[in-house]
Amino acid sequence: MALTRINIGPVHPSTHGVLRLVVDLDGDTVVDVDTRIGFLHRGVEKLVENRKYMQCPPYMEKLDYAAPLSVDELFVATVEKALGIEVKERAQYIRVVLLELQRIASHLLWLGTTCNDLGQLTTGFMWAFMDRDLVLRLLEEATGSRMFYVNMRLGGLVRDLPAGFEEHANELLDYLEKRLPRYERFIEKNPVFIERMRGVGILSKEDALDLGVTGQILRASGVDYDVRKDNPYYVYNKLHFSSKHAVSGDNFARYKVRMLEIGESIRLVREALRTMPEGDALGMPVKLVMPNAKNRIAIVSREAPRGEELMYLVADPQSAYRLSIRAPTFINLAALRHIARGCRIADLFAITSTLDFIMADVDR
Amino acid sequence: MTGMVDIYTIMQNGLNSGNILVSLVFLVIYVIFVLVIMSVFAYLFGWIERKLIAKAHYRHGPTYLGKFGILQNLADLIKLIAKEKVAPKTAYPVLFSLAPQLLVALTVFLVLLLPYSPSLQAANIGPGLLVVFVLLGFTPIILFIAAFASGNKYADISAQRSVLLLLSYEIPMMLVIASTVLITNSYNIQALISMQERGWLLFLMPVGFVIFFIALLAELERPPFDLNEADSELIAGWLTDISAPYYALYLFLDYSKVFLGGLLLSMLFLGGWLGPSFLPPIAWLIGKAFIVALAVIMVRITMFRMRIDRILRFGWIWLIPLSLINLVITYILFV
Amino acid sequence: MKVDRENLHSKIEEMKKGGYDYLVKITAVDYVKSVQLIYILRNTSASKDEVLEVDLDPSDLYVHTIMNYYKAADWYERELAEMFGVEIKGRKAKRLILAKWDGRGYPLRKNFAWNEPYEKRE
Repeated sequence: MALTRINIGPVHPSTHGVLRLVVDLDGDTVVDVDTRIGFLHRGVEKLVENRKYMQCPPYMEKLDYAAPLSVDELFVATVEKALGIEVKERAQYIRVVLLELQRIASHLLWLGTTCNDLGQLTTGFMWAFMDRDLVLRLLEEATGSRMFYVNMRLGGLVRDLPAGFEEHANELLDYLEKRLPRYERFIEKNPVFIERMRGVGILSKEDALDLGVTGQILRASGVDYDVRKDNPYYVYNKLHFSSKHAVSGDNFARYKVRMLEIGESIRLVREALRTMPEGDALGMPVKLVMPNAKNRIAIVSREAPRGEELMYLVADPQSAYRLSIRAPTFINLAALRHIARGCRIADLFAITSTLDFIMADVDR
Repeated sequence: MTGMVDIYTIMQNGLNSGNILVSLVFLVIYVIFVLVIMSVFAYLFGWIERKLIAKAHYRHGPTYLGKFGILQNLADLIKLIAKEKVAPKTAYPVLFSLAPQLLVALTVFLVLLLPYSPSLQAANIGPGLLVVFVLLGFTPIILFIAAFASGNKYADISAQRSVLLLLSYEIPMMLVIASTVLITNSYNIQALISMQERGWLLFLMPVGFVIFFIALLAELERPPFDLNEADSELIAGWLTDISAPYYALYLFLDYSKVFLGGLLLSMLFLGGWLGPSFLPPIAWLIGKAFIVALAVIMVRITMFRMRIDRILRFGWIWLIPLSLINLVITYILFV
Repeated sequence: MKVDRENLHSKIEEMKKGGYDYLVKITAVDYVKSVQLIYILRNTSASKDEVLEVDLDPSDLYVHTIMNYYKAADWYERELAEMFGVEIKGRKAKRLILAKWDGRGYPLRKNFAWNEPYEKRE
């Protein structure tokens, strides 16, 4: 039977950016997917080599523009490790709060786009975006910006949490906790959704490890690896939460893991706000001349909303000699070819949406 | 109201007068009358759909033009018509531009064939029901031609899908119609509706109603069966390469198909123009069609798009056996 | 942990048998005198990471693929070939993934002329 080769993207409604897929189809069945990336390659790793340390976070934030704080924090943490700077305790708590809020916002964005990709006329998309906007508003209150925060400084933050933040945060979390069951009613009770997610795009545990996927995709396949649990940073080992994982490894498991993570993040933020110590949280001023690097090489990994993000930094006193970023979405997208083989063309985008990639992060 | 009735009788007398010339003049008037109703319905439907969906999304929808943005669709229409017509190099130009027009012509023809009250109809065709549904079955075939004529691979896939869709919903739809015929003993729409004076068919065979509604959604290519223009994978399916004026035509087609579907459903199951006499029959008919249209919008707001193999399975495992059972039960109870 | 290019395969095989079932990242650093390849492997059940460092001579840049051990190496190796000019031996797909460089060198090497105006390169 002759195959149809269709070219999807780089500009296409559901590629979430500039991804090009060359798909070989046998009727409606996908025989092979060739993933072409690189349309958004900006050479961030090279740019960083020619900038001072604290000039870099704005570049870093543009990598994962749906969860900028996580990359911002990761870069600053990597530099901190290289320069041997301790983070103040209150700042650690605030970082956890901000990161978890960012995770909620990012997962809500993902939820919305997934509804959209499953052909649901943007109802779920609009709902999730409405709630995400509230989270962003809270983050704006804390950092002064809605989208790109640049809120981390070496050893702490740009500013402490504003007065009244805790009440506002708790209000929002109460609201979100009420909304989550509504989403579940709206989405999980829909038989078409279940049909399109359950048993589609299965990634077995062995394959997941072999392909090196990270984050929710790895956890949905039954590998319970969460950097926050297994290699805790900041105050995660003092807070009570569980890392969620599933065993079936299909689209529905990936969906479910993310939805459960929102609940866990809500709990984490609550607890972190409650147990937060008083004190100083401000970091070093940007223009401070850096001491010499203590460690020439720093490797730091974080559980970003889209999986484990890792930075390998070879430090010079004033700037990075070499910064290598392990983007979680890069390796998750590499697994697309394996997962999508043999699925229906309609499922191809259900799978890409549960892989949850950000093309800026993939291409760097 | 009495004025309306008078117009009806004049129209009916005119349509059925022996003089060919008079009949022709009245036929033209009738056609214009029905087309105006259809266009107004389509226009209002388009606006209400936008507004309702916006409401569900916590948005406002169109607000700028006219009261509550009611002129927005008109502005869109003018914009679309004013744009350039482009055909891709790979397309067969004649078929490519003719297909949307053919589709609209077919829908308009079907709308004209239907009766609008006991006395108001273009022609009382004996097996009217059969004619209407056979003609309706042509829609996916024209769609198929349109898709292949556009020479686009997305359109090819969309064409394959529309044929598969046809396979899965046409049979249950026809079986449901067969069971209505069992009750009325006639393929005539007039007879069907006058028979419903004893009770709407909705209450006589609720299962048939549900099956028919699902099949109707597929027939109208509305969500969750809008697979051949699934934007998340096929961009716009057979519409991918279409230019703006044809797209305007397509939008009109989409909305007027909902009008047609609403009319058919209300005639078959909701008693057609039957209703208390404070409103003229045609108002009852169109009111019922409008309620059906609202239901179609509601489904569009909440449902995820189905997958083609799943629709086939759903059609053959659920719809066809259910409609067969419906047929048998109808036979046992009513014949 | 420093590893020779020749011993890389045997070392990785040994580690994979020892529970290192997950490849985190392959990257490289250009130290001008040498190009260092970095393989980060992980034992997911014990949550332990191991970094393998392979020093290569810039005039003799090649390494054998480790795709037979970890499929995850695919895109990382391609990136390495594209950004550092490291020849990866023993693999089929060699297409560049991130960008198309028209023979102007390898962007993440220190000798890459990144700051020159565009006309000069023509």
